Amino acid sequence: MSDDTLLEMRQITKIYPGVVALDRVDFAIRKNEVVGLVGENGAGKSVLMKIMIGLVQPDEGTIVLRGEQTALRDPLEAIKNGIGMVFQDGSLVPNLSVAENLFLCHEAAFRKSGMLSLRAMRDTARELLTQLKLHLDVDLPVAELGPAERQMVEIARLLWLSKLYGQENPVLILDEPTTVLADSERETLFETLHELKDRASIVFISHRIQEVLENCDRIVILKDGKNVTEMPAADSRLLKVEQLMVGHSFSVDRFHQDAEWRQAEKEILRVENLSKAGLFQPLSFTVGEGEIVSLIGLVGSGKEAVCRCINGLEKADTGSIFINGRKLPSGSPGAAVKAGIGHIPIDRRSEGLALMMSVAENVNLLVLNRLKTAGFLSPVREKANAQHWISECQIKTPSISTMCANLSGGNQQKTVISKWLSSRVRLLILDHPTRGVDVGAKDEIYKLIRRLAREGIGMLIMCDTLEEDIGLANRLLVMKDGRLVKEIASPPGQKPTPQDIIGLIV
Amino acid sequence: MAEAKNGEAANAQETRRRLTGKVRIPPVYVTVALLVVVGMLFYLGNQNFLSFYNLNTIISFSAILLMVALGQMCTILIGGIDLSVGGLVSFISVVFILLIKPIGYLAYPVCLLIGVIVGYINGSILTRIRIPSFIATLATGGILTSLAYIASSGAGAPRPVNLSPALYHVVDNVANGSLFTVSNVLYIGLLGLLLYYVILRFTGTGRNIFYIGSNIKMSWMSGINIVKTRNIAFMLSGLGATITGILISSIRYGGDPMVGNAYVLNSIAAVVVGGTALTGGTGGVINTVFGSVFMSMLDNGMNVVGIDQYFQQAILGAMVIIGVTLTFDRTKTPIVK
Amino acid sequence: MTEVSSKGGYLTWLRKRFPVPFAAARTWLRRFGILAQILSLAIIVAVFAIGTKGKYLSWANIQTILSLAAIPAIYAIGLHPTIILGGIDLSLQGVASLCAVFVGLLLKNQFNSNDVGLWIIPISVAIGGAAGVISGLLNTGLRIPSFIATLGMSWILYGLSVYIGKAKNVQILDERIFNAINVMVLGIPQIAILAVVITIIVQFMQNRTRFGRYMYAIGGDEVIAKQAGVKVNGIKIAVFTIAGVIYGLASLLLACRLGIATSRMGLTLLFPTITAVAVGGVALTGGIGGAKNAALGALIVTALNDGLVLMRVSPYIQQAVNGVVLIAAVALTLDRKKLGFIK
Repeated sequence: MSDDTLLEMRQITKIYPGVVALDRVDFAIRKNEVVGLVGENGAGKSVLMKIMIGLVQPDEGTIVLRGEQTALRDPLEAIKNGIGMVFQDGSLVPNLSVAENLFLCHEAAFRKSGMLSLRAMRDTARELLTQLKLHLDVDLPVAELGPAERQMVEIARLLWLSKLYGQENPVLILDEPTTVLADSERETLFETLHELKDRASIVFISHRIQEVLENCDRIVILKDGKNVTEMPAADSRLLKVEQLMVGHSFSVDRFHQDAEWRQAEKEILRVENLSKAGLFQPLSFTVGEGEIVSLIGLVGSGKEAVCRCINGLEKADTGSIFINGRKLPSGSPGAAVKAGIGHIPIDRRSEGLALMMSVAENVNLLVLNRLKTAGFLSPVREKANAQHWISECQIKTPSISTMCANLSGGNQQKTVISKWLSSRVRLLILDHPTRGVDVGAKDEIYKLIRRLAREGIGMLIMCDTLEEDIGLANRLLVMKDGRLVKEIASPPGQKPTPQDIIGLIV
Repeated sequence: MAEAKNGEAANAQETRRRLTGKVRIPPVYVTVALLVVVGMLFYLGNQNFLSFYNLNTIISFSAILLMVALGQMCTILIGGIDLSVGGLVSFISVVFILLIKPIGYLAYPVCLLIGVIVGYINGSILTRIRIPSFIATLATGGILTSLAYIASSGAGAPRPVNLSPALYHVVDNVANGSLFTVSNVLYIGLLGLLLYYVILRFTGTGRNIFYIGSNIKMSWMSGINIVKTRNIAFMLSGLGATITGILISSIRYGGDPMVGNAYVLNSIAAVVVGGTALTGGTGGVINTVFGSVFMSMLDNGMNVVGIDQYFQQAILGAMVIIGVTLTFDRTKTPIVK
Repeated sequence: MTEVSSKGGYLTWLRKRFPVPFAAARTWLRRFGILAQILSLAIIVAVFAIGTKGKYLSWANIQTILSLAAIPAIYAIGLHPTIILGGIDLSLQGVASLCAVFVGLLLKNQFNSNDVGLWIIPISVAIGGAAGVISGLLNTGLRIPSFIATLGMSWILYGLSVYIGKAKNVQILDERIFNAINVMVLGIPQIAILAVVITIIVQFMQNRTRFGRYMYAIGGDEVIAKQAGVKVNGIKIAVFTIAGVIYGLASLLLACRLGIATSRMGLTLLFPTITAVAVGGVALTGGIGGAKNAALGALIVTALNDGLVLMRVSPYIQQAVNGVVLIAAVALTLDRKKLGFIK
């Protein structure tokens, strides 16, 4: 280990039920350098950083900090060792002022005979912010600041804390800082980072590879929880990095490609000039019967917002949505459901299921009206419907009245899918359908998706990896920065490769 | 990130598994066990506890409590609470008696209608002014209590309103009658029980109450009409409280604007001790039946055995805390405020 | 995230129709909270001054209002930090009843030979504090939501108070205490001055100590506060304890003011105190408002009710008015983004 290695993480492994988040990953940071950490969603970047700041404990592996092996048991310990992170969602208390947030829980320096000296806090706060070229009213509640300013406040806090604990060369981790910033604000951020390099080391996580290459000294690439490689930024080229991020071509069979698929004849969904201020610009596309269309884009591309508008969870500003030729009233999930739009949400536990209720009750949720005799729910019909779908989708459950909380992730996901299938949905929106699902269940879900397509259900999907998107979809809609930039056909046998796509989205 | 969340949630479940042995003992068994144990204790204290007469009393009062408790259960199931039931019971108890003089038997349907309308108003306040149910119903409960006072005695001190003996037949033929030596109160209780059971178990709206209490976000995304279901839940609560008010006035041959005060605590206790979680989404009619019987038995038993009446409130309070501790679903709310 | 009834809600209609003044009013209400309250107070005074043809503004009436507002203000000051945390404390009725009973039995009275004199102050305060500790432990240790834990505590304590006090009305015969409570300083009731002093002390603690700021941090975002290192559980227990302590003091004052100690003393306290806190501008969602808000709120509610009495409005209509005021105050100060769906 060379002299200027500040922090080294060796062979870090972290396993969650059903998922290996990190598999013997190594990561090192040297003094006064900016390291870029890149990888797709689910590659393990966030988990690695959470371990680094003590929020999560690794199952295996060691951390060596300034030459000594350390265990970082909680974020406070990490801060005392000079390691801090600026989260994507921000971690400032909204109703406290800037000054108060800067010094939260470490105000000992400002105590004068038991009370806080507000003036000293204000003065120090202003000083700290000026060093970062930020001029603010430090008494403003943080909730009134914009995202760029809030980020600066958080960076200022981390710098101050490391000074407080006498750490010479702190490590600052920035998790996707540029996603919420405007162009000019990004420039300011990078200038600040360059200046900070003299007295800190920075880990920069971002999807925007170009930015990473331009502003980092070194770039580390993770994929599927494993190290791929690391290289000095100066020597790297965008294309090469993208290729490494995304990996080799996939095995064609993994996604059970439907060799008989033909171009859809009947249109199920038509989106015309849909836009929502701040999220996505006017765009139009269609999805046909039995067609699987994948929305591809990074965080911030606007694809999630598009789906939310189609589902009625949000009201679009302009444009219309047509299902089977009929216009959909906007902003109403009920109307969307009635029109035959289904939604497999990204977080099935909090958005997809009633965990405390049985499998049967969840499966039957949308079709209660159909399961009635003489106006009342019929237990016989409910049971029949539930059993039908349990066997159709191969949901493994001890009985139809098992509580959903007791099922595995994959079976929970299948329950959610059954709920919608039972209601004879015409268009299904799948939001990361295999997230948190183990390999075996993933396979079953892919097969299920193919079957649904064969039965004529149109699908709009967003997947965890480009491979999955390309493999499952018949057509790809590429979005970047709120715009639909390209539509690419992805018929079986003539699939584009991830490398082809990635250049379009970053 | 979602892996992290899933992992933590799964870990929480593991922890719960380790803590309770099984993932979930159906709370009904706990209540029944409690019933038997405490019943035994009371019997040891005073043999009369299990006399036919006493049991009859317990069951009658269970039936009366059950009505308001079932209504309360509906609002708790959907994730809210109804603190106005006390005020409504008082109000109806007075108004019912007052209405018998002018409109005789029509007092029954009119009062039931009033109760349902009050429930609808509660639900509407939630929807239109969008404040949490416990504040809204706290306020409406206070207003209803005031109205009960005013109805009973105008601007003077609240006093009971008595039914003139000439009109006794109106209540005797309904609540105070008996069929095969079983008081009508019991039959009415059973009918009410059946009504709530059918609504909750066999109608779409009843099922929706469970869905919403279990996961309101998912319910909304699935297109369930939350406003309508919530209104119905509160209307059911108003109905239950009304039936209780009518029954009490019938038995006493008079209305009392202070009679409802105890029912807020007792109805919540009956629901919670019976095993319906305050977080909503789990529980049911049978739970509340056992809960009501238990609370009535507790009330009666403490009197029979001679426990200081004053101590009883303390015990009731403790019961609620214990009941909530055992049934509250903590995986639903990471932060407990 | 869009809320359920995006079509309903009169406030939403108001908000859409007059977006700029509405938003400005709301920020005002939150930032310069007391400005709105002072305005309301001015309006109330004006309305009643006219309605009672000046009688409302007589020195005697003002003294009455100050004297009547002092103790509710102290209760409100006790209650509101629990709301700042994001929870609530419904136990004050039980604490008040219990303290009243002890005050009655320990001070010189007609039933027994106790005469603890000034020692009653630490005793009453300690009882309240002990109750607060238990509430705090129930909330943080057993993780029972504060509104159930404190509601249950209220019933338990009330039951205890009735058990100990046996529903007797105990007359307090201790002259010193009686006089001390009811004395006037420069024409202003001493308890009003006491209330102001307590307000200043508590507000100071909220603004200038770490403990105070951490309270607001927890109310603002508990998860983030915890991550930053705030000892959430410890602070919660401390806040409930302080609430109990203040209730103990207020209950002592109230019992002595009334001259009669009975377990029923607490029964009607909850509603007006919550109303006072809400009207003062302390948001139910937490993180906003301070002692000055609580005290002002109590003053406004008292001024309102005093005016209604002077104008001979039926006491039961008064209760209805209070109910409406409570709903309105809560509706205006609630931060709905924090609540998501209303249950």
